[in-house]
Amino acid sequence: MVIATCLVAAGLVLDVSGQTAVGVRRIVEAGLSAVEAGVIAGESHTPGSREALKRARLADALSQDRVGRSGIRYASGRVIVKFRDQIAGGSQLEAIRSASPSGALAPRAPHADFDIVTIDPVEDPEEVARALGQEPAVEYAQVVHRIHALFVPNDPLYASAQWNLPMINLEKAWDIQPQAGSSITVAVLDTGIAYKNITLDVTLKSFRDDEGVLYPALGPQSIPYSAAPQLVGSGHSSRIVAPHDFIWNDDSPLDFDGHGTHVSGTIGQLTNDGVGTAGVAFNVKLMPVKVLASMWDVIFGAARSEGGSDDQIARGIRYAADNGAKILNMSLGGSGPPNCATAPNNPDCSPVIEAALRYAVGKGCFVVVAGGNEFEDTVPPYGKNPTSVIAEIASRIKGVVSVAAVDPAKGHAYYSSTGSYIEIAAPGGSQRGFSSSGLVRQQTFDFDRTDTFLLPPSQYHPPRFDIFGYVGYIGTSMATPHVAGVAAMLMQQGVTDPAAIEDLLERTAVDLGAPGRDDTFGFGLVDARAALRGLGLAK
Amino acid sequence: MLLTLGLASPAAAQPPARPPARPAPRRVLPPLPPEPPISFRPFVSGAENAFAAVETFKTVFGKSYGPLFGGGLQVAFHGKYYVEVGASRFNQTGQRAFRQNGQSFGLGIPLTATITPLEITAGYRFRPRRVPRLRPYLGAGLTSYAYDERSDFDEPGEGLKTRHAGLVGVGGLEFRIHKYVGISADAAVAHVTGILGQSGISKDAGESDLGGIAARFRLIIGR
Repeated sequence: MVIATCLVAAGLVLDVSGQTAVGVRRIVEAGLSAVEAGVIAGESHTPGSREALKRARLADALSQDRVGRSGIRYASGRVIVKFRDQIAGGSQLEAIRSASPSGALAPRAPHADFDIVTIDPVEDPEEVARALGQEPAVEYAQVVHRIHALFVPNDPLYASAQWNLPMINLEKAWDIQPQAGSSITVAVLDTGIAYKNITLDVTLKSFRDDEGVLYPALGPQSIPYSAAPQLVGSGHSSRIVAPHDFIWNDDSPLDFDGHGTHVSGTIGQLTNDGVGTAGVAFNVKLMPVKVLASMWDVIFGAARSEGGSDDQIARGIRYAADNGAKILNMSLGGSGPPNCATAPNNPDCSPVIEAALRYAVGKGCFVVVAGGNEFEDTVPPYGKNPTSVIAEIASRIKGVVSVAAVDPAKGHAYYSSTGSYIEIAAPGGSQRGFSSSGLVRQQTFDFDRTDTFLLPPSQYHPPRFDIFGYVGYIGTSMATPHVAGVAAMLMQQGVTDPAAIEDLLERTAVDLGAPGRDDTFGFGLVDARAALRGLGLAK
Repeated sequence: MLLTLGLASPAAAQPPARPPARPAPRRVLPPLPPEPPISFRPFVSGAENAFAAVETFKTVFGKSYGPLFGGGLQVAFHGKYYVEVGASRFNQTGQRAFRQNGQSFGLGIPLTATITPLEITAGYRFRPRRVPRLRPYLGAGLTSYAYDERSDFDEPGEGLKTRHAGLVGVGGLEFRIHKYVGISADAAVAHVTGILGQSGISKDAGESDLGGIAARFRLIIGR
């Protein structure tokens, strides 16, 4: 606190930002460089482990979401509405009042072509959305779904080589394009990126976990935060372009989770520098667009629940398209009905995200979406292996692809959702049968230093975000950035049309599973070299 | 009396009649000697070929036509019937590409295609009486195209080397400058399948004919 005061007095507080209705943070633009902890070993996020289950229960306990009749989680107190063009304000209000006695039209947020109708939190957003959808003045109305990062974090006992990059023929792709995407900007719509050295001044309030156990307030804290050295090392800060945070509503999309930093590492980790791991398109510019809240964002008071919402993601997509991104990576998703194409007014569909995706493609962006991690899960009322809503939308838009995950043996990763909407596959990792050597490893936070909310209350202490290691994750979240990186290289190579990029990736994919396109691998495993090589006259 | 005296003059006393006026004779080239029963006529040729696979070639090379250079030997019988063997070569470097919805995207990876047509044709040389030095001709025959495609960063087995046969028809005009020298201009139409259309851009474009129409010029030595 004293240090922060001195820095303020010295005029080094360059950014006072992030004030929301409930969350306040002060970012002091002065911080120390990261500490590299090497390979992170030891159990931390094994699926089904006591720790992973506690994390999930805590997220539920802190969440202010509602759970609809379908079992899908969505935000309370608001509904997304798209009014038809040229509908007067009076007609809009009339439609709102017909659907909800407490309904009010919120000021339109930037980067949105839709509106938010706020309602009393006790009202059922599903009912309000249904009623609004029937009004003649309304094009569509939907609840605000909760969207999640799609990975199953894991922490291997042993760090192995990056089996995932040779699997998609990257060494030979780099021979063809040594620049590795240097002129392309990739937007990472995720939990943010650890991209700058700062000190974070926040007040840690008390909270109760899923068992009602009280975690004490820790009061004002100065938390160290560093840029991931293998993403934004010395001399590489200029590769971060137009950052924006839709959780804190400012321009500092700091990652407090690690997921966004890990995903960004697969896309563009600094490579051939004699340090750590490599990335696919290691010279791309990165645009951090934070649309997913982490547990710390909830504890800091900026978000009501972990994850993101349809409106934030839609705005994030539009923001990225409007600010020069040519590739969008979306390692996120949520379950929904399989028939959104034919029944878009189903409240569990997401027309707001579909409209944003079409907008981005119209601006020349290629979008990559995770295919879903719920192959073994049962989500009522959709049953086992439910459809991933955003991935299903992707399959209907040329220029947006949905990505399944393969394991180190090029087999179906056990968690990877299957369905007619899967278009292509990429390495997502698996620990089943491969142990720690089957993970996708990139540099991100040392979770032992960040996830202190998993400790008993007596040991609970402030986190620190300045210690990094090479951490193994698995998931379609990890598969997705492989395709995004290859797409960035393709765009640099000369294929500038999103639909053409999709066609070329699918044409040159290595067929897996049943011959031809199938529901498990789509058109097959992405092949970076074959895609960059394109076609000859006769071969 | 005067009329009688005029009428009584004998015909032998008038000057001789002049022959009627005729147009001045045209200067003509001296006629060529008759052609031998068999003559061997080597030739060199240059051609500009418009490929039938228009979109395929445009995508890779930026244009659908290109030059061929070659030569051969024609054997003529009594200056009328002929059999001819010829070879030529097309070689051009473009870039590997991708084509989608009619739009082409170059990938900047050099690709070199070499086409070597080998032709055996037979035909007939007409001999117009009024212009004996001009010899229109028609012919048809078989052609065999050798096709070689290579790109930078190719791995073993990724290039293409193949040969397929096709048909060729030709029609043109030869002008005999001299007893032993002639020049000709003709159009040759070739149709060769089995090389394009199986894979690559030609498959996307739906084009399977590597032939086309060539405008050829030849210098022929011999009678």
